Amino acid sequence: MNIISVGVNHKTAPIEIRERIALSEVQNKEFITDLISSGLAHEAMVLSTCNRTELYVVPAMSEVTGEYLKEYLIAYKDARKEVRPEHFFSRFYCGTARHLFEVSSAIDSLVLGEGQILGQVKDAYRIAAEVQAAGILITRLCHTAFSVAKKVKTKTKIMEGAVSVSYAAVELAQKIFSNLSMKKILLIGAGETGELAAKHMCQKNARNIVITNRTLSKAETLAEELGTGKVLPFETYKEHLHEFDIIITAVSTKEYILREPEMQQSMQKRRLKPVIILDLGLPRNVDPDISRLQNMFLKDIDALKHIIDKNLERRRAELPKVHSIIEEELVSFGQWINTLKVRPTIVDLQSKFIEIKEKELERYRYKVSEEELKRMEHLTDRILKKILHHPIKMLKAPIDTSDSIPSRVNLVRNIFDLEEPNQ
Amino acid sequence: MDNIVHSNIALFILIQLVSLLYLVTTVLYGAHFFKDATPAARYKQPALALTVLVHVLYLGLLTSIEGYKLSYSTFNLMSMVALTLAITYIFIEFTTKSDKTGFFVLAFSAGAQLISSIFTAQSSGAGPAFTGFGIGVHLIAAIFGFSAIAIAGLYSFLYLLLFRQIQKNRFELLFQRLPNLEVLERLTMHAVAFGFIFLSITLFAGIIEQKASGEAITLFEPRLVSLVVIWLIYGASIFVRPITGWDLKHMAYLFIALFVFITALILLMTFFSPSFHGLALQNGPYYFTSPYI
Repeated sequence: MNIISVGVNHKTAPIEIRERIALSEVQNKEFITDLISSGLAHEAMVLSTCNRTELYVVPAMSEVTGEYLKEYLIAYKDARKEVRPEHFFSRFYCGTARHLFEVSSAIDSLVLGEGQILGQVKDAYRIAAEVQAAGILITRLCHTAFSVAKKVKTKTKIMEGAVSVSYAAVELAQKIFSNLSMKKILLIGAGETGELAAKHMCQKNARNIVITNRTLSKAETLAEELGTGKVLPFETYKEHLHEFDIIITAVSTKEYILREPEMQQSMQKRRLKPVIILDLGLPRNVDPDISRLQNMFLKDIDALKHIIDKNLERRRAELPKVHSIIEEELVSFGQWINTLKVRPTIVDLQSKFIEIKEKELERYRYKVSEEELKRMEHLTDRILKKILHHPIKMLKAPIDTSDSIPSRVNLVRNIFDLEEPNQ
Repeated sequence: MDNIVHSNIALFILIQLVSLLYLVTTVLYGAHFFKDATPAARYKQPALALTVLVHVLYLGLLTSIEGYKLSYSTFNLMSMVALTLAITYIFIEFTTKSDKTGFFVLAFSAGAQLISSIFTAQSSGAGPAFTGFGIGVHLIAAIFGFSAIAIAGLYSFLYLLLFRQIQKNRFELLFQRLPNLEVLERLTMHAVAFGFIFLSITLFAGIIEQKASGEAITLFEPRLVSLVVIWLIYGASIFVRPITGWDLKHMAYLFIALFVFITALILLMTFFSPSFHGLALQNGPYYFTSPYI
């Protein structure tokens, strides 16, 4: 039983191609249902995110190859003009398993270690299961992938540290203040960047966030969304600067909105208690001279990118550990696949012995009492179990290559005179 | 004159073992902090617990010779400082849930214990042993006071290190591993508060005992003057800071300087002026000459 994966991702194709080939949830369901109902595949799953569209297929006939599936997907999306088979990767058997394990553990992602992908793989499996396209192989593959991802998350630091500017801002704030819930935060600018930073702050228990914006209604909407409900008019926020421990600026302006004299005054008012200003604006919103003030930490986007770079460096250093976890799981997954090949022989073997047992017991059915028959049945069951233990153990034993499976199967079949299995 | 360590095999083994354990524990904490080594992370806490246990056994055996009386030898006191630092650090690790500053505190403990072990093994006696409740309180409070000064100095140093890392945008190892500035500030100020309390006890117990005994001590003895100055500065840090708003960055320099100064002073005076506040260490109401001197 083979399992094939083909697809486009950020490593194999540019964004236009990825967009062209992407499948919505409805299309995903339709596509895999078609594959199964047309008899091309026993099992199928599609993982479609903004960075990848990948098919995982257990083919039902030898004609269904990687190339066939590429063409099938291109034809389904009617994208022959833009998408070519060269934009795809293809993997087989253990290569497929390795690929899905790498995807799930986020080492194949555009941003190394980004945490969303596992949820997306789980969604892909849920969809396949809903349309009954996930059989024994895909189910086992996905569950092993989830377990790999969990191990990677707990045993390595691949997902640690901020890798976005807004999250890096929060990480920096946490390196200065221990408890964000006790700190007063001013957000100047209710745009997308400011909103993201404020949301990250909220995730880290920041509760006292005051928002100011040129358009007050926008500030009010965001304050409501964050659940703080606190806003300041843009015209008067400078009078309150001394009240804030963290100031986040993210406005579009050509002039500095915070300058040294007003911040100096504010620092005096707050008796030099440390302040962090996170300038997320481009061009910068805050006069860089402010950083000279005592106990003032002013960080702009460039400074925050230093944090991101260092975190990515640390994540890359964790890659060998992740690969070793994947290798380990890959070996046990390969061994499980091999047991699938011996399963029919095990079933035949057990059936044959049960048949013999039942025939022999039948001969004594009317010669002994009910109770004695039960005892004989119990005894024969125990004998059969002991006789079959070793052959079954030998069939299931780990092997280095799948080549030795047929010889083991043949050996057992010959010794016990089993009929040839139906292909 | 026989050396106490050489004449007692159990003490000889324990003194080597304590130093070795301090070194091993420091290396483990260092390996975890700098290299993030997994075995170090696993074994460092058991190693610290074992170190403290063996150290307590060592001090118990050492003082048992004098009927569990404190010996006024700087080297023995250094050993007790090492122990109080290690115990204080365990308390800090337990309460802050941060095990990332252990290397810095335990390195100092290991250094203190190593010097203590070397000189104890080389000296001809353990020094006079003290008797009396008041002088005992005075000495124990002084040991805890010095440990608090050391903790305040070490955490101030870490505070400044992290402060500079953040200001210079160096988001590397120290930025990643050290606790945040607010935690370091809190630990420093707690150490200062405890230091102030212990130094207060040291001074008051000293004054009461001095009056009771009628012994004339040298008031301008450098150690005494330094401790009074530190006591005043620590007191001012606690009581004046909230009013004036002194920032920890500048205070940190002061705490480090005080720690370095008092450590150097104690060591220098041990070698060049070994007296107890100007009293010759021979006879007197609190102490008696040790039988192995």
